[in-house]
Amino acid sequence: RSCILVSIGGKNIMLDCGMHMGYNDDRRFPDFSYITQNGRLTDFLDCVIISHFHLDHCGALPFMSEMVGYDGPIYMTHPTKAICPILLEDFRKITVDKKGETNFFTSQMIKDCMKKVVPLNLHQTVQVDDELEIKAYYAGHVLGAAMVHIKVGSESVVYTGDYNMTPDRHLGAAWIDKCRPDILISESTYATTIRDSKRCRERDFLKKVHESIERGGKVLIPVFALGRAQELCILLETFWERMNLKAPIYFSTGLTEKANHYYKLFITWTNQKIRKTFVQRNMFEFKHIKAFDRSYADNPGPMVVFATPGMLHAGQSLQIFKKWAGNEKNMVIMPGYCVQGTIGHKILNGQRKLEMEGRSTLDVKLQVEYMSFSAHADAKGIMQLIRMAEPRNMLLVHGEAVKMEFLKGKIEQEFSIDCYMPANGETVTVTTNPSVPVDISLNLLKREMALGGPLPDPKKPRTMHGTLIMKENSLKLVSSEQALKELGLNEHQLRFTCRVQLQDPHSDTDTLHRIYTHLKSVLKGYTIQHLPDGTVMVESIVIKVSSSTEDPNTKVLLLSWSYQEIYIYL
Amino acid sequence: RTDMEETEFDDILDDWFIESLKTYKDLHVYQLEHPTQVIEWTSGKTVCVAGFTSSKNEILELRLPLKLFADENKGLCAERDFKVVHGGFTDAPVRFSNCLNLQVWDLGGDDSDVIRRTGSVDGSRGVSEGGSRIAARLSSQPQVLHGAESAGVRLTQLTSGQTVYTLETDSADPLSSLHFVSDAVFLAGCSNGKVYIADTRTSAAPQLSPPPPSSGESVLWWTDASAGPSCLDPSSCRIVRLSSCGQTVISDLRNPGGAVSRAQLDVQTRRCNADDVRVSWAPALDDCIAVSGFSGAVQIYSSSVWTTELQEAQPLFEHRGHAVSSQSDDGVPVFVTSHVWHPERPRTLLSAASDGSVHVWDWVDQSAAGC
Repeated sequence: RSCILVSIGGKNIMLDCGMHMGYNDDRRFPDFSYITQNGRLTDFLDCVIISHFHLDHCGALPFMSEMVGYDGPIYMTHPTKAICPILLEDFRKITVDKKGETNFFTSQMIKDCMKKVVPLNLHQTVQVDDELEIKAYYAGHVLGAAMVHIKVGSESVVYTGDYNMTPDRHLGAAWIDKCRPDILISESTYATTIRDSKRCRERDFLKKVHESIERGGKVLIPVFALGRAQELCILLETFWERMNLKAPIYFSTGLTEKANHYYKLFITWTNQKIRKTFVQRNMFEFKHIKAFDRSYADNPGPMVVFATPGMLHAGQSLQIFKKWAGNEKNMVIMPGYCVQGTIGHKILNGQRKLEMEGRSTLDVKLQVEYMSFSAHADAKGIMQLIRMAEPRNMLLVHGEAVKMEFLKGKIEQEFSIDCYMPANGETVTVTTNPSVPVDISLNLLKREMALGGPLPDPKKPRTMHGTLIMKENSLKLVSSEQALKELGLNEHQLRFTCRVQLQDPHSDTDTLHRIYTHLKSVLKGYTIQHLPDGTVMVESIVIKVSSSTEDPNTKVLLLSWSYQEIYIYL
Repeated sequence: RTDMEETEFDDILDDWFIESLKTYKDLHVYQLEHPTQVIEWTSGKTVCVAGFTSSKNEILELRLPLKLFADENKGLCAERDFKVVHGGFTDAPVRFSNCLNLQVWDLGGDDSDVIRRTGSVDGSRGVSEGGSRIAARLSSQPQVLHGAESAGVRLTQLTSGQTVYTLETDSADPLSSLHFVSDAVFLAGCSNGKVYIADTRTSAAPQLSPPPPSSGESVLWWTDASAGPSCLDPSSCRIVRLSSCGQTVISDLRNPGGAVSRAQLDVQTRRCNADDVRVSWAPALDDCIAVSGFSGAVQIYSSSVWTTELQEAQPLFEHRGHAVSSQSDDGVPVFVTSHVWHPERPRTLLSAASDGSVHVWDWVDQSAAGC
């Protein structure tokens, strides 16, 4: 189950809230005691973000929000928001009605949970509060799946959820800009695999269907309304056309309406090819694929039927399955994962005798085929994503640490970044080097430029003087005068004076002139001026001469200089 | 690439895949990050592949997809992917499992997935451009036969580094391969067409099989010997020699100078890289030979229909998957860099190509006679 807690810049965020499908007890839920030992989670979380509608990412959401307690915002994309409640309700029905469990969320809880959802659009920055902002990116994988960029101040994290880097027949590939997050958190379940090509999987599917049809068998393909059904239909249609096959293909009613409805709503989430097709015609208008009527199931001869629901736990697909299970010429192709407790799950585990309602048993003689079409990133995909986003640190979740040392080494070598692989329950602390942005006033900048000297060089820092003002969460560097003005203070100028006595019978003016000439000859390279107002200036040091009142031969030299000049002459 | 080109490419690829429904039992297509020239079995279910650029290269031990071996419960197994069991890095290009200096690698156990270099064995003196060839001795102590030229082939004990045997020949001919045909007897195939047959138990001079006639100056030869450890009578082993012009000669180990049969294969001579060409006997089929490296295809021939007269031979099967699915941007056609037969499954092969693709395929024999 995916459920990750991130603390960044004082904010706490929950990423996904999934259910572990392998457990029947409380172990299937995430352990929320990591957040708080008792009570509601609202005060401890700033927001919850759900990446996509798969149950191992959102299955525990109603439990968390309604049974543990959380009233804050839950963010997810529009398609996820539309599809999530359907899957959760199906899942609830199976768990409570079929398996008779009691400590589980209710239909009302699912509704109440979804009321807290705030939908996200792609590439749109959303302010969760003053400091926390999030943005969703396209992840591929399933309709509406997103990768999320989280930013607080100058620190950021990207969480991928599940994603894939190669486009398929109905979804594009994941994409993100060079956002350079401090941490990139990526799923790594398939990090140690090299995936067989899409076409090979499709070939296998076609081969199975064809073999069955050739021997006069019937093929049942239980599907969820969205995603794979569309792809597999396109595939079969193309194949039937090419091979000039005559056996009928059907999809069950309900499937088309729902699918069309969702695709219309979320057309921007599919790939280019689908969009082009959709513009030309209705998604489910095929030459070789027609709407199913339940009476057709008894027709003789070969046929292929797409029917819901996907795990054979109820409805039309189960009805058809019961009719066809006894004939070994027939076939059922399961295109995805089935939850424990469903017939789908049982037959995928090799069970050949099923107990049905009314104590009757069903002998499963037909061929059972399990095909996985899910799109995940493998090692190559993870490397591609890192190249795209350029994170400063890498975090791999849900892999086996012992089996990923090689990948960790590869990442650290190629990108010179740290790679972490925490286990469940483990906390990772990553130190970041946030840059602090400071604005500088134009006047100050101009003044520094006017001082001349070498041009600014990032490798050679140059000392400059100014005043740093922190106002309303922003930092500004201004000149001292401007700072004083803003503070409403007067600037005080410090001047130092010193009196030197010397014996000189000449007149004041003559003495001054002699001092001037003398200084000019010994202080070469300094600006020495004899001003008409009766002062001599050495740079900005002022020298005045006056006679002592007691003795006209005693001259008093008054030297005066300002504070800045002290260090020049020491 | 324009949309039109893209669609055309897709159509051709789709056609090939649909055709493959009849021509292959199993087919798996993978894409490595970097192309490999090496595919070596490390167990019945795992292979090693490695890059061959001049800088850092990856060595990967891959476990074949579980679905391939599922047999009875195949339908219930959805696993079609390669599993990277172990991985490591090397600084040198990896060809025929090594380069100039033999490097010894520890594949690591269950507690780690990293491949580490644990040592090296000095390469032979007088190393030719192609680098050393090696063959592992199938005995209790780990030993490896290695060399770059005929005069200088050594059998080295890996743990002690001691030389256990040295091949002495009159001339130093660059090697194209080394093969053990039994526990003690091995073949040294030279690129000029000569084959030396030696017995590591004796100090007697090796037997020499001269290059087949009509062999020119610039012609290169590759060799394979049938039946390694499972061959009960080493003298019934066969040698196949393939030239860069496509001439193929099969000899019997009992009469290495003669020819049992010959054929002229259509190899579409392109500027072929000596390191890419492979010729191999099928370990679990009779008289079946696979040839690759001249193009983007792997060809399977049945030599049972060949005679002593040099005649053109048609392949029994051609795996064109690499050529068809390759999208080469620079106009350079893709070519197969390596192939291996599965040691037990009769028609299962692995092949790798210059675009980084690796295919696992189990072909269907559609001919009446044949393998």
